[in-house]
Amino acid sequence: MDQEALMRQIVEQVMSAMSKGAAPAAPAGGKMTAANYPLAEKEADKLKTPTGKPFSSLSYEKVLSGELTSDDMRIAPETLEYQAQVAESVNREAFAGNLRRAAELIAVPDERLLEIYNALRPYRSTKQELIDIANELDGKYGAKTAAALVREAAEVYEKRDRLKKF
Amino acid sequence: MKSKRFEALAARPVNQDGYVQEWPEVGLIAMNSPFDPKPSIKIENGRIVEMDGKARADFDMLDTFIADHAIRLGNAEKAMAMDSLDIARKIVDINVSRDEILDITLSVTPAKLTEIVGKLTIVEIMMGMTKMRARLMPANQCHVTNVKDNPVQIAADAAEAAVRGFAEMETTVGIARYAPFNAMALFVGAQAGRPGIMTQCALEEATELQLGMRGFTTYAETISVYGTEPVFMDGDDTPYSKAFLASCYASRGLKMRFTSGTGSEVQMGYAEGKSMLYLEARCLAVTKGAGVQGTQNGSVSCVGVPAGVPGGIRAIAAENLIAMLLDLESTTSNDQTFTHSDLRRVARSVPQLFSGTDYICSGYSATPNYDNMFAGSNWDADDYDDWNIIQRDMRIDGGLQPVKEEDVIKARNKAARALQGMFRELGLPPITDEEVEAATYARGSEDMPNRNVNEDLKAIEAMMARKVTGVDFVKALDKAGFPDVAQNIYNMLRQKVAGDYLHTASIFDKDFHVYSGVNAPNDYHGPMTGYQLSEERWEQIKNIPNAIRPEDI
Repeated sequence: MDQEALMRQIVEQVMSAMSKGAAPAAPAGGKMTAANYPLAEKEADKLKTPTGKPFSSLSYEKVLSGELTSDDMRIAPETLEYQAQVAESVNREAFAGNLRRAAELIAVPDERLLEIYNALRPYRSTKQELIDIANELDGKYGAKTAAALVREAAEVYEKRDRLKKF
Repeated sequence: MKSKRFEALAARPVNQDGYVQEWPEVGLIAMNSPFDPKPSIKIENGRIVEMDGKARADFDMLDTFIADHAIRLGNAEKAMAMDSLDIARKIVDINVSRDEILDITLSVTPAKLTEIVGKLTIVEIMMGMTKMRARLMPANQCHVTNVKDNPVQIAADAAEAAVRGFAEMETTVGIARYAPFNAMALFVGAQAGRPGIMTQCALEEATELQLGMRGFTTYAETISVYGTEPVFMDGDDTPYSKAFLASCYASRGLKMRFTSGTGSEVQMGYAEGKSMLYLEARCLAVTKGAGVQGTQNGSVSCVGVPAGVPGGIRAIAAENLIAMLLDLESTTSNDQTFTHSDLRRVARSVPQLFSGTDYICSGYSATPNYDNMFAGSNWDADDYDDWNIIQRDMRIDGGLQPVKEEDVIKARNKAARALQGMFRELGLPPITDEEVEAATYARGSEDMPNRNVNEDLKAIEAMMARKVTGVDFVKALDKAGFPDVAQNIYNMLRQKVAGDYLHTASIFDKDFHVYSGVNAPNDYHGPMTGYQLSEERWEQIKNIPNAIRPEDI
C-alpha cells in the first residue's frame, strides 16, 4: 500500500481513539488543543504570515509571480502561541515554553539572532554585555522570557567563571 | 603448540574490534557505576535545593539548569520516593499506560532515571521502547553524502532513498564551503523522490542555523549537548546558549532536536568518574529543560566507547529508553560504524529495529560506506536488501521497503535532471548530461566524473552573497520545467509558516499531512495494540522481487 493509505488508516485509528475520549477534548476557553491539530488543515483561517497575509491565501502561483517573497514564508508569533497551546494540551509544557520564547524572537533579525547566540557561548561576554543583551531583548523586542534566560545565564556564568576573560 | 581452533577464532572480524575492561574511576563503565550519585531531591519554596546528593551551593552549570528547568516539581517528591524497581516494573506492565509512566518519569532526577532503567534486561528495555516511543508508527532516517561533495550524486541518492522509504535525510560536507550545494541537492533530490521528506545539513551550529533561515533545510539535528560542564565548554556551548539556539530554530519555523550520547564525556576526558548512562541522563534532562521536542541519542559518533565495555550496547538501548521516558522524540542512532563483525552490527540494531523507534537510524547510509562522510555507518546502501529481508523475516516495519530497479533509476534520473535545471536557472556552474547519466546509474562517487571544485566554491560564495533562498529554488525549478518538484519545495516552505511539524516526532506523508506525537500518539498497551502492520504494508514489505512464486514453477 502506498504511504497515503497507510497514514489514512492510522489517522482513522487515532480519530476513533479520540472519540472514545482517550485524546484531549475539543478546544475550551478558546485555546488550541490537539483536536485543532494540524493547524494547517484545521485552523488555516486563523493563521497568518508575519507580514499579515492569511495562511490560506498562500499559493505556489504567487511565489512564481513574486507576490510572495521569502519574508512571507515565515512563521508568525501568534501561530507559535497556538502551537504552544497545542503542546500544553498534550502535557508538553517545557516544549510549549520553548515555542513561546521562540515567538518573541521572530522580531529579532537573523544576523542579530546569530550574534546573540554566539554571545551566549562560554567566555564570549562580560556580565554587563549579557545584561545589555537581555535589556535589548526586553526593551527593543518585548522578548521577556528570552531576556530572562539571558539574565539567568549571566548569573550562572559568573558563578561558574565562564564569563569573558580580559 | 597453538590451537587451530583458536587460530581461526583470532582471525574472525569480531576479534579485530577493541575491548576494554571496566574502569569506573575514570568513567569507563556503561551503567550502574558504584560512583553514580544516589537519587535524591529536596524542594523548598518551589525550588530544588538538593538533587542527587548535591546541595544547590555545590551545583555545577548543568545541575543548575536541570534543577531549574527539567523536572516537574508538582509530583517530584512523590515520584522520587517511589521504589525504582516498582517504576521499572510499571514500564514493562501493559496495564500501566504511557501517560502514567510519564507522570512519574518527567518528575524525577537523572540519577533516578539511570537507576530505573538499570533494573531492566535488554528485552525489558525493548518492551519499554515499544510502549514509550512518542509516535505510533516507526520511521527511518538516512545520511546522503559523498567524498567528492558531488551535488548531482547527492540529489540522485536522496531520490533513491526517498523511494526506499526514508522519512528524513541528513547530509554533511567534506569541504565546509560546499554546504549550500549539498543542502540544496538533498532538498531537491528528496522532494523529487517523494514529497514531504525533511532534510538537514550537519554543520557548525551558527552556520547550520543560517542555512535553515535561508530555506536550504527544513530541520536540524546536530545541536550537541554533553553530560559534564567541562565537556560542554569544550563543545563551545552552555545549556543556556543551546536553549536559546533551540528557540532561534523554532522562531524560523524550523524543526530541531538535540544530539547526545554515551561515551562522549569519557572520550573527551572529563567523565568525572560517572557511568556513561548517568552522564547521558543529564544530557537528556538538559534537552528536556531546554524545551526541545526530541533527541538524537544512542552514543552516536562515540559508539566505539560503550561498545568496548561490558553491557555497553545494552546501555545504548537504555539511553534511548530514557529519552522516551522524558517524552522526547527518539532518533536512535544506529549510525556510526563500530565493529568489523556483521553479527555484532546486526545485534546492536536489534533493540531499536525490532521495538520500533521514532527514527530507527540517524542515519542509515544511503551510499556505500566509502562515501559516508559521518565516518561510516552501521548500515549502508549495500545492506538495503538485508534490511528488507530482516523486516520480512521478523514481520516488522523498519521504515523501508523493497523497490524495483526501474523505479529507482527513474527517480535518480529525475532528481539529477531537476538539479541540473535548477543550477542552470540560478546561474550556477553547469551540470552536464554526462553527470546526470553517471548519477542515474552510480553506486557511489567512484562512478561520478569530477567537478571543477574551485568554480563550484566561487559560485557558492556569490550565490550566498546575493541572498538566494528556498523561494528562488521554487522559481528556478518551475522555469526549468520541473513544476512538481518546485511545488514540493514550496509546500515544505509553506509548512514552516504553520509550524505543525515543530511538534514531537513529526513526519510528513507524500501529501504533506503531518503525523506526530500529537495526532498519532503511540497507544501501545499489550498484544494487538499500538502500531500494527496493515495488510497492505505487509504486502509491500514481504513482496521482494526475488522470491519464487508458485505460479512460476
